Amino acid sequence: MPSGLADGGLLLLSFLVPFVSVLLGLPPFLKFLTEKGWTSEDVHKSPPAKVPEPVGPVLFVAALLGEMVVAIGFQSWVPVAITLGAGVAFIIGLADDLFVLGGKTKPLLLVLAGVAFAGVVAFIPDLYQPVITFPILGDTAPHFFLYTLLAVAAFPVVSNAFNMMDAFNGEISWFTLLTALALLVGVSLHAAYTSGFSLARVAATLPLLAVAAGFLLFNRYPSKAFDGDSGSLVFGAMFAGLAVTGGVEIAAIIAIVPAILNSFYTLSSVRGFVERSKMSSRPTYIGDDGLLYPSIEPNAPNTLIRLVLLAGALSEKDLVRDLLYLTLVACIFSVATSVLTWVH
Amino acid sequence: MKLAPLFGIEAVAFLLIIAETYLFFNLVVPLGPIPHSLPAYTGLALLKLLLSLGLVALWFVVMIGLTRIYVKARIRNAPKPSS
Repeated sequence: MPSGLADGGLLLLSFLVPFVSVLLGLPPFLKFLTEKGWTSEDVHKSPPAKVPEPVGPVLFVAALLGEMVVAIGFQSWVPVAITLGAGVAFIIGLADDLFVLGGKTKPLLLVLAGVAFAGVVAFIPDLYQPVITFPILGDTAPHFFLYTLLAVAAFPVVSNAFNMMDAFNGEISWFTLLTALALLVGVSLHAAYTSGFSLARVAATLPLLAVAAGFLLFNRYPSKAFDGDSGSLVFGAMFAGLAVTGGVEIAAIIAIVPAILNSFYTLSSVRGFVERSKMSSRPTYIGDDGLLYPSIEPNAPNTLIRLVLLAGALSEKDLVRDLLYLTLVACIFSVATSVLTWVH
Repeated sequence: MKLAPLFGIEAVAFLLIIAETYLFFNLVVPLGPIPHSLPAYTGLALLKLLLSLGLVALWFVVMIGLTRIYVKARIRNAPKPSS
């Protein structure tokens, strides 16, 4: 079989296996969660609806199957490193779903996800290149220690940023889908314009895209499933790992600027890592008309949601649409960065 | 168009990330030459650390400043339920 055709088939499988796994795995798992009474209140509905949570285990298993296809099909260790980092993030997320970890404990534990990922470099020295490539300007000098330190630090930062974009129906699934698409464009351009760049690094991004696309069908407004921290932290950890192995760090950071701003605004206004339920003041509230309004209390956290709502009260569906516009603009900046970096 | 100011903040965040990462890797990291005496080596390391923290602080200050301006401009006319 021509290698181009075989590669195309493997790429298709890398997308289809996790996508179909989510579509087939979620309905029975939702039934199981409902029977066990593992549901959460959808607090932005009036009256609050009960939604099964967490479906993170199904999302992680689907991503794992997709990465296995890439690992076996392309004979690459890159998906193994991605899965290790995501696996540690999944365990921490599941522990948080079941027992609620402290506001500071979770980000500290997530460093372990970065350590698990970077640990693979001891066995696979070319897991990542310790350079950052800039648009137009090209590569920095290699700095293995500094780069590895930043790669490890990226896991708690990015995972938490994704986790904080998981407040409304469809928000996390749309956000992950769009940013994973921007990441795929970046890694594909890197592969197309760099000789010797393994196609496995492109294929490894497809399971994240596929899981987000499959989950969106259940998570979009009105949600039938919530991922829980076990889902959102996996999305964040996979995104961080793929950005590093794909060598598209700058484009990846730019794609998630809305999430970075959101977590930065929240952390700076509540002065540290505080669990959502323990915030002294809520950033938004629901009016009698069912619309979401921004809090005008001076000590209210300045989340991205509050900033959007300051421009006008919105229904939950419209609010998520506006957040998507912000994500879309960031993804366009990200793709522009990738084009300026790799196309020459 | 009501999201235009937030798009603007995003654009500034984007430009600052690119500019500051470039400054960090091309000016701060290779700052040298590497001194051979311990006090000079420690001094250079501290200087690099301070410069790096300065870049991070600059990003934070600009973002906080822009957000404050945005919130101040919008909070007076913030939407409230009619009842």
